[in-house]
Amino acid sequence: MSRSSLSKQPKKVTDISVPSEQLAHVDPQDMFPLPPPYDKVKEQPGFKALSAETRKTVAASLDDTVCVGLPQPKSKEEEERLITAFLSGLRKLFTRENNWTFLEPLVLSMEHCARCQTCVDDCPVYEASGKNEIYRPTYRSEILRRLYFKYIKPGNSLFNKFQNGDIELNWTLLSRLLELSYRCTLCRRCAQSCPIGVDNGLITREIRKLFSSEMGITEKNLHEKGTIQQLRVGSSTGMNSLAVKDNVEFIDEDMTERTGIPIESKWDVEGAEVLLLHNAGEFIAWPDNPGCFALLLDAAGITWTMSSEIAGYDGVNYGLFYDDVQLARIAAKHFEIAKKLKVKKIVMGECGHESKALGVISDRVFQGIPRETAMSLIADIVFSGKIKFDPSRNNFPVTLHDPCNLVRAMGVVEPQRRVLRYLAPKFREMHPHGVRNYCCGGGSGFAIMSQYNFMDWRLQISGRKKFKQILDAFADEDPSAETKKYVCAPCSNCKGQIRDLFDYYGAKQKSGLHYGGLVELVVNAMVDVKEGFLNFEEM
Amino acid sequence: MPNFEWNDLNISVDEDGFMDQPEDWNEQIALALASTESVDVLTDNHWKVVNYLREYYKEFGIAPMIRKLCKQTGFSLKEIYDMFPSGPAKGACKVAGLPKPTGCV
Repeated sequence: MSRSSLSKQPKKVTDISVPSEQLAHVDPQDMFPLPPPYDKVKEQPGFKALSAETRKTVAASLDDTVCVGLPQPKSKEEEERLITAFLSGLRKLFTRENNWTFLEPLVLSMEHCARCQTCVDDCPVYEASGKNEIYRPTYRSEILRRLYFKYIKPGNSLFNKFQNGDIELNWTLLSRLLELSYRCTLCRRCAQSCPIGVDNGLITREIRKLFSSEMGITEKNLHEKGTIQQLRVGSSTGMNSLAVKDNVEFIDEDMTERTGIPIESKWDVEGAEVLLLHNAGEFIAWPDNPGCFALLLDAAGITWTMSSEIAGYDGVNYGLFYDDVQLARIAAKHFEIAKKLKVKKIVMGECGHESKALGVISDRVFQGIPRETAMSLIADIVFSGKIKFDPSRNNFPVTLHDPCNLVRAMGVVEPQRRVLRYLAPKFREMHPHGVRNYCCGGGSGFAIMSQYNFMDWRLQISGRKKFKQILDAFADEDPSAETKKYVCAPCSNCKGQIRDLFDYYGAKQKSGLHYGGLVELVVNAMVDVKEGFLNFEEM
Repeated sequence: MPNFEWNDLNISVDEDGFMDQPEDWNEQIALALASTESVDVLTDNHWKVVNYLREYYKEFGIAPMIRKLCKQTGFSLKEIYDMFPSGPAKGACKVAGLPKPTGCV
């Protein structure tokens, strides 16, 4: 059977408005094969089918999965209301007073795409799906572009229809476009390859924003359990300040015991050089990471603190992925906390989107307070000469996963490599890497989503390219689990996705694949730390 | 919200199969939820994990960190995975009736 006969895909952009049970389908046979021992489709985890109940109750006519799960409208009137609200949001997206933040790059991306399709081969989702039309980065953009030329900038309508193509705005389009805006990880690899800088990632994100700000339609992990919970309780993890302090106390004790170096984390210290702002997921899922930061900063003689205020111990800002207002609320909190503590600078822990949100996107909010990523701080400490290292303690194969937000969005490429070239004797690059990296497949918050069967989608399709890249990076090593391999992923979100990939495919048992952050490798190589700090059995 | 039926029980769960009303949890429900996690029998060791999760959740309103769970119950991470194949967060917490962990965990 040929590949194309298995998949199902729209023939035209306008098919998005044509009601059908399911617009697109990707068969596992359509996806490019993984290297052995993951090459036999039959032996891999299957793609769970959506239940009839799900198909009946929520909008699920796009493809094989559901992410947002918008309830089906109960009446024609409700459909109409949603369409009216969508149009109103669309207009706001293109006015300065409602979208001063991203209006300019959005309009440029609307008006100047030459439809050359140079970008499409750079999309890991499109490639992994066997080039299914709906995942083509320009397919989604073209829908918004046609709506833009039809409703926002109609001009001479006959000429316009001829030049830009018509499209019918109906419930089918609306519900599919919403889901489609959650089939892109916002990695922006396509934006980088565009000869004129058209940004399909931004377009996707602005579609999510339209649904959120104007219609109150959001993905629950990002919104309800994400930014809302963070602003109410203190953290997207649900930890209040008592819980985080309890956890950190445990981490301090555990680290002290395992490293032989007394560790006491600092809370709310005024005037410290560094306000250390971790993604709070680290405290729960990867406690060695904040523990190693505490140890390393102390060893370097840097005065530092964490904050126990609401949002002060959680650097995440999921607003970056879907909503400017939530983004600004959290950024303002982070700024106020840093200002109140009178710290010299903020250091973002090993978290990509946090680094982008604080370092780049909210730049205007943080007037007078410098921000630095953990990557350059760690490199500065490692090469300061203050700490003695024995790189042979990291004598296992190591590769580096580049978080998109660090490399492509911020250009922070080299510090982490300098550290690894020095402290990991068996370090090797993935290909391609740096600003040309591939997303882990969990970008834009996908790593924390597993509702319905979305986990199958993000591990089989959006994460496929990364999994292959990781396997290829170790192709020259003993493939068995006997040889422990370490994927250094300095980002909480990427770590979550990579953990799920390894669990899903049984890669720890089959290939000896492990993962962790950068600072753990640094501490593991410190001469003053008890040998054998990194324990592959516990990873 | 989907409902999940097991023997005479009817449990309201979210799209990930976690309980909507953690306060309604009881040992029968634990058995029911375990069946969705390919856990057929809950041994004393399973209960040790489940009970610790319940106690911690009552005190702090969230799940404990994984390392703490290991240390307090005396099980290695591998042993927890052997008991709950989808792991401590997605497996053990679900059986213990905790809500799905949130944030980047």
